[in-house]
Amino acid sequence: MIRIFKKEEFNKAVVSWLGEFQVIGPKRIGNKGLFYEPIEAMEDLYLGPGITVEPMKKFFLIPSEYLNSSSVPEKNKRLIVGANPCEARGICLLDKVFDSEYKDKFYIDNRQRTTIVGLSCIAADEHCFCTSLGGDPTDTRGMDALLFDQQDNFVVEIITEKGSQLFGALGKELEADEKKEWQKNKAKKKGLLKKKINAPGSLGHIFENEYWKEVSAGCLSCGICTYLCPTCHCFDLVDDERKKLRCYDSCAFSDFTLETSGHNPRPTKKERYRQRVFHKFDYFKTNFGENLCVGCGRCIRSCPVKIDISQVIANAPI
Amino acid sequence: MLKKLKDKAKELLKNKQVDLFIGYKRAADKISAAPGFITQEEQADSLIWDAYCVYNLASYLMEFPGKKKAIMVKPCDARAIIVLLQENQIKREELFIIGLECSGVIDQKRGLAFDEKCKNCQLPASGLYDLFIEDKNKKDKPAKPDDFDEYESIRKSEAKSLVQRLKFWEEEFSRCIRCYACRQVCPMCYCPKCVAEQTMPAWFSKAAGLNGNFSWNVTRAIHLAGRCVGCGECERACPVGIPLREINKKIEKDIKELFNYETGLNIEQKPLLSSFDKSDPDEWIK
Repeated sequence: MIRIFKKEEFNKAVVSWLGEFQVIGPKRIGNKGLFYEPIEAMEDLYLGPGITVEPMKKFFLIPSEYLNSSSVPEKNKRLIVGANPCEARGICLLDKVFDSEYKDKFYIDNRQRTTIVGLSCIAADEHCFCTSLGGDPTDTRGMDALLFDQQDNFVVEIITEKGSQLFGALGKELEADEKKEWQKNKAKKKGLLKKKINAPGSLGHIFENEYWKEVSAGCLSCGICTYLCPTCHCFDLVDDERKKLRCYDSCAFSDFTLETSGHNPRPTKKERYRQRVFHKFDYFKTNFGENLCVGCGRCIRSCPVKIDISQVIANAPI
Repeated sequence: MLKKLKDKAKELLKNKQVDLFIGYKRAADKISAAPGFITQEEQADSLIWDAYCVYNLASYLMEFPGKKKAIMVKPCDARAIIVLLQENQIKREELFIIGLECSGVIDQKRGLAFDEKCKNCQLPASGLYDLFIEDKNKKDKPAKPDDFDEYESIRKSEAKSLVQRLKFWEEEFSRCIRCYACRQVCPMCYCPKCVAEQTMPAWFSKAAGLNGNFSWNVTRAIHLAGRCVGCGECERACPVGIPLREINKKIEKDIKELFNYETGLNIEQKPLLSSFDKSDPDEWIK
């Protein structure tokens, strides 16, 4: 179902949702950038061009959570407004891990209590490369509803039952000419992407290549690329004050694969960075049929030494 | 200037004076710089030098023990090399230090033509460099006003109440994702096993909650007391924009006022925490 309404109408609707849901959306924090934050008033919500520093993954796979039954979060309903299409696709990929053969109760609870209303990209920057990986600035996968910014209006594509319940009778259905205009504008969005690369088929045969040493030479072994990735999902289980804590972990850390004996099967940055690339563009594809990367560009934008995974895979000596 | 640099790099690699040249190359985005590691003479043409060369390459030095290394340094980066030498972490005879005259670097994240640190840049003692390349086309740095106070923001913060300061830092640290980029990028953070990675005992919670975040960031800052050279890499690397330099600057200011000590400016100087002076302000030390 596709509906159109004035932006003011939508703003009013958001305010009305504040009572029923915990509303979360992109908010500008000083000179730090955009962050997903709880929205208390309409002014907080930013629905413009740009991308948040952190992905919305953190609302589903919580960065640190105690896996005790008593610590299951309060099951309030949540609404995420303004998510980028690439991120919702990221959630679809996480579903393959946490809600398929193995069912992760915590993740699934978070998924069920959350409604995702996305926003088609208004702009893309030089780091975005979603179209190279099967994505699209107007992709609806993973969304309950997707907004499309059209001058004074939003056009909304309602995808799921949750989305339909939320939007109810807001606005009206598109008339033939409006639909045409929307489709025309929508088609243009693909052109936003400046970067196009070819994702490799498989990488197995270049596992031992010196290329990995070369591309990882500058890597600092910090966790930025993995923590800010909408699809990276490795975690650690630790005892924290007699409780079991699950927290994010990163294959970039030198102690990620450190064994009790002191042996480390991934002793240098070469093996660690290669692991990240292989997990995304080889192993995950073997296991789940897709690349574990949506081309959001966060790891490129925030890398302190400008390692660019899109170029790493584009230039891989396959 | 660039030609001189490339020629020197070629010469050093050709004559096997060094095994590795640590410099800057153009990043994949074709605008920014990235660290470059050169081992072949012909790769020297990929070297660059401009205002995008923000990284403090000194943080890579300890990765190559036993290798002879040449390194490109801005005068501010050289301070880190001085501290690493003072702390016996690198060998002077393994290093060929190329100093580059610098007109200030940009702050890409905040879109500023000059990084905050460039406003008060101090040159370390001469004599550290094996080669210093001057810039004939040197641009004027932003003029330093007469009443320039490098600790202005610190004084403002000191004037606030403890409760206000706590609130400010709680808000900042609440965003910390514990990616440890601040630690990894820091040339002074070289502990073989960081306190944050120790599990027996675990000194503070691994959870990215406020308690653990506070402990981590404060521990990091205190461990850099008298060692931080103010290169600002921690703050630049922080993906969530925590003003980490402010904490280290506060410590830097206290140390300057208490002990008249500035880090990494003089190779002959002993590290602050391993030196003893009877004029120390505290009574107990006598």
